[in-house]
Amino acid sequence: MSRVQALFSFVTENHPRSLKGLEESRAVAPELFDEVAEKFLGWAAKVHGETGYLPRCVDAFAIFSHDVLMSQARYEADGHYENDSFAKCEEAVYGRREVMDDYLWGVFLTNFMWAHHMDITRFYKDRFISKLPSAPKVVELAPGHGGWGVWMLSERPDATLHGYDVSPSSIVIASSVAEAAGVSGRVQYTRRNALDLESMPAGEADAVICSFLIEHLEEPWRLVAVISRLLKPGGRAFLTGALTAAQVDHIYEFRKESELVLLCEQHDLRVLETISVAPQRLLPKARFLPRSMGLLLQRRKSDMW
Amino acid sequence: MDTLAKLNEVFRDVFEDEDLTVGRETTAKTVAGWDSVMHITLMMSIERAFKLRFNSGEVANLKNVGALADLIDRKKA
Ligand SMILES: C[S@@+](CC[C@H](N)C(=O)[O-])C[C@H]1O[C@@H](n2cnc3c(N)ncnc32)[C@H](O)[C@@H]1O
Repeated sequence: MSRVQALFSFVTENHPRSLKGLEESRAVAPELFDEVAEKFLGWAAKVHGETGYLPRCVDAFAIFSHDVLMSQARYEADGHYENDSFAKCEEAVYGRREVMDDYLWGVFLTNFMWAHHMDITRFYKDRFISKLPSAPKVVELAPGHGGWGVWMLSERPDATLHGYDVSPSSIVIASSVAEAAGVSGRVQYTRRNALDLESMPAGEADAVICSFLIEHLEEPWRLVAVISRLLKPGGRAFLTGALTAAQVDHIYEFRKESELVLLCEQHDLRVLETISVAPQRLLPKARFLPRSMGLLLQRRKSDMW
Repeated sequence: MDTLAKLNEVFRDVFEDEDLTVGRETTAKTVAGWDSVMHITLMMSIERAFKLRFNSGEVANLKNVGALADLIDRKKA
């Protein structure tokens, strides 16, 4: 039985409420779904063992997805996100292994188990990975589970990666995923707040990956300044963010796609391409459309370039 | 009215099906339309009907209606 088949039977048996979403997700792009799912689940199986990886990851996914939807329902009622302080999120979520390990294994699966995120996954592969220069030096901000960067490394044997995440769980989990993928010799993970990289030497990275961090910050523009600073002129970044999509640790409420575009333009980043996606099934009478946005950026060489 | 009977009313209301009857063994496999999004509507309606509030994690992996009824009874006790 393939890992995809095993996933479908596990979900059918143990998480029937998640089956519809899984079917929607595979229908977006069956070949890509199978490719990514086999890869990601294969790494998870190496980390957790063949008998344990599905319960470990899919149970975490079900809880994570449920929490996200529940946050969205409370956001619909209250009109604002539940948290507004990074320090509180670090204390309650990022810094607590018992919370964060489940959270990260749950998020790990959203890359292909949330139908709208399949579009972001395709965008990343086709528009970012495939366009990297040779022997790229890549920085990943907030790798979390590590899946995005490790996938890039597995596709590009000439690439190296340095990842920075504020969460100790991330460093452990991303390292284990890299090890499982056989790329650990080309990656280094450091526990550090991405905003502290403001003081790093400028212009050393060929590319930056920064997925679903920006909405977790009180001052998201500081992150965009960091991305811009790290990149060489002409270097590219893959940036994603959430708009009117609540989660326990989402702080900054982006409402329109143009807000992210403008932030990038204000920090010497050309916006080459964007994609904005939303789930197919929404809460009844939803006021807010919970969106995920992906941006492909390029560091300007000058004002005119 | 006992918890299960009251829950049945909430289910009928949420799934807009006057003939729906749930028992302790009922799961999402046997109720058409009970997906992850509908589950949230159901939980919010239960919160209103029973005047309680679920914590994160409590209701994400409930196996069947019996487990849900037991959780409600524990929270109301
Ligand atoms: C939703 S997860 C995203 C994980 C992964 N990049 C993805 O897209 O699936 C958010 C991650 O941001 C990390 N994080 C939050 N604030 C951070 C900060 N200021 N600097 C670095 N990492 C941060 C958290 O620890 C967590 O791993």
